[in-house]
Order: sequence, then C-alpha cells, then structure tokens
Amino acid sequence: MKSVATTVVTAADAAGRFPSQNDLEAVQGNIQRAAARLEAAEKLAEGLDKVTKEAGDACFSKYPYLKQAGEAGENQTKVDKCYRDIAHYLRLINYCLVVGGTGPLDEWGIAGAREVYRTLRLPTAAYVEALTFTRDRACSPRDMSPQALNEFKSYLDYAINALS
Amino acid sequence: MLDAFSRAVVSADAKTAPIGGGELAALRNYVAEGNKRLDAVNAITSNASCIVSDAVTGMICENTGLIQAGGNCYPNRRMAACLRDGEIVLRYISYALLAGDASVLDDRCLNGLKETYIALGVPLQSAGRAVAIMKASSTAHINETNTSGTNPVETRFRKMETVKGDCSALVAEAASYFDRVIGALG
Repeated sequence: MKSVATTVVTAADAAGRFPSQNDLEAVQGNIQRAAARLEAAEKLAEGLDKVTKEAGDACFSKYPYLKQAGEAGENQTKVDKCYRDIAHYLRLINYCLVVGGTGPLDEWGIAGAREVYRTLRLPTAAYVEALTFTRDRACSPRDMSPQALNEFKSYLDYAINALS
Repeated sequence: MLDAFSRAVVSADAKTAPIGGGELAALRNYVAEGNKRLDAVNAITSNASCIVSDAVTGMICENTGLIQAGGNCYPNRRMAACLRDGEIVLRYISYALLAGDASVLDDRCLNGLKETYIALGVPLQSAGRAVAIMKASSTAHINETNTSGTNPVETRFRKMETVKGDCSALVAEAASYFDRVIGALG
C-alpha cells in the first residue's frame, strides 16, 4: 500500500541503505499534515451514511432517466447498489485520508473501474455528479476545519478526475 | 509493504467499514510521537556500524570457536558476510521502526531467512545471539542509557544529545522487532 513511509522505505531498500535524513524529513512532513487528514477521516466516517444518501439523491435528481426501465436504476435493488457504490468511494476516500496518499483509491477503486463500468453499461457521469455534489456541499466550519476540508476535497477531486 | 496507517486501512477494508474513532486514536498517537520515532530511527542508523560490529564481536567473544579454523566466522570472507548480514537485519528493523509496522521486516528479511541459514550451515543460535546484542545496544541508544561499560576510561561511546523524554513505548516497539528476528531464527 503506497504511503509516504512505504515509498521512502522502498527507495531506501532499493539502494540498500539505512533511512537517511532526507527520508526522515519526508516522513516528518507527512506527520505534520496528519492532524487535518485524520480529522477529515473522522468526520467523514461519522457522517458517511448521510453523505452517501445526499450524494445519491443528488445524482438521481440530476439524471432522473436512470430510474426508467432498462437503465442503471430501474428497480430498487439497482438503486441500492448505486448508493452502495457511492458509499464505497467515500470509504476509500476515508482510507486515503488515513494513509495520506491515493493508494487505497488507486488500488481498490480506480484500477479496472473503467472496464467494469463499460461491461456493466453503467454511466460514470452519475458517479461524477454524486461526488461533485459532495464536494460542493461540504463546507467549513459546519462539517470540518478548513484544512481538513481541503484534504477531503482534494481526494474527492482525484476520484472525480479518474472517473470523468 | 504496510505502515501503521495502511495497516489500519487494510484491516478496516476486510470489514468494509470506514475508519473512525477508536482506530484513529492509535494513529493520532503515532502522529503525536512522530518526532520521537524519527529520533529513534536516527539513533539506530547513526550508530549502525557500531551496533553491528559490537554485536558480532560480542557473539565471537562468547564463542571463540567461531573464529578458529573450521568456525563459521573463519576466514575473513565469512566474518565479512556475518557483518554484512548483521547490517542487513538492522537495516530492515530500522525500516520497520520508521513505518511502525513489521510487514517490511517479515516480507523482505525474515521470510525464508532461517531456511537459508540452515542451507548455508550458519549457526542459528549464534546469529540469534548477535541480534540479541544488537537489541540491547539499539534500545540503549534510543533511550540514551548507553554507558562506557566496564572500562571507566573508555571514550569510544557517544550519546545522541537529543532531548530526553519518555521513550518506553518506542523502545518496546523496537525491541519487539528484534525479538521477531530472534523468533524467526529459533
């Protein structure tokens, strides 16, 4: 799993050397930013169900055709799966905030997503809408501190860019 | 390879649950103790060659048969291999301490180490003893409790001159990595 510490250790191991001052500084920089990340992760974990519901509702209100027969949300089972997928992305963003890198999103969310959605004939635009709504809805200080919000939104943007 | 943060992520993913309160508290502790951890890694890396050569020397002093003809540290070629292996083990322990997780040590160093040593005829007990001495001197360096030993005029030891504090949790963590190596060899 890619994170600052593992990246630093992998590079040091490839060179066969002990962790250098540069490596320690890199980890130190990561630690300094950790408080905001962990705050965002905590707030997101607390509100995950509500955030998921709002994001999913926004998606279906922008694309009501999705609930027509033959579309991705034609029955309740399929609609539930849409909400589940949104919760899945938010959970991965929660993980990214904990790790301090895009590793979880890359490995468990984005890798292969395009192929899967094409095979299942799912519109990525709907996911983009849900995540964009979440990004624009989140605000400080109501949801979290400004720095935490910044971290949260940067991972949302990363997922949005990967899906669009 | 995992670190303290990605270890939490992998175990949360197995439950498909987001990471909240309880798990975050442990990670906040890693963050709060971050500078101590970096100082501890620095204490090991800055004194690495001292720690390694002291451990190998100690191992041989306790069992001088190792450097007599037919011993496993005779001739220089095999002694050099021994010093090199000591440094490699210490290096992976420093990685584990930096990451706050033993997976790098397990995956890249200990996996198959015992079998390799058996195949090469390296005495596991002696190797374990060298690691035990490295554990003693590394933890002393982290804690800054190292002394000149039994020789009162000995001057070839150093203190790291860092601010002293409570490093017991980190020392225990570092010691657990050394014990892991000893356990893997046993």
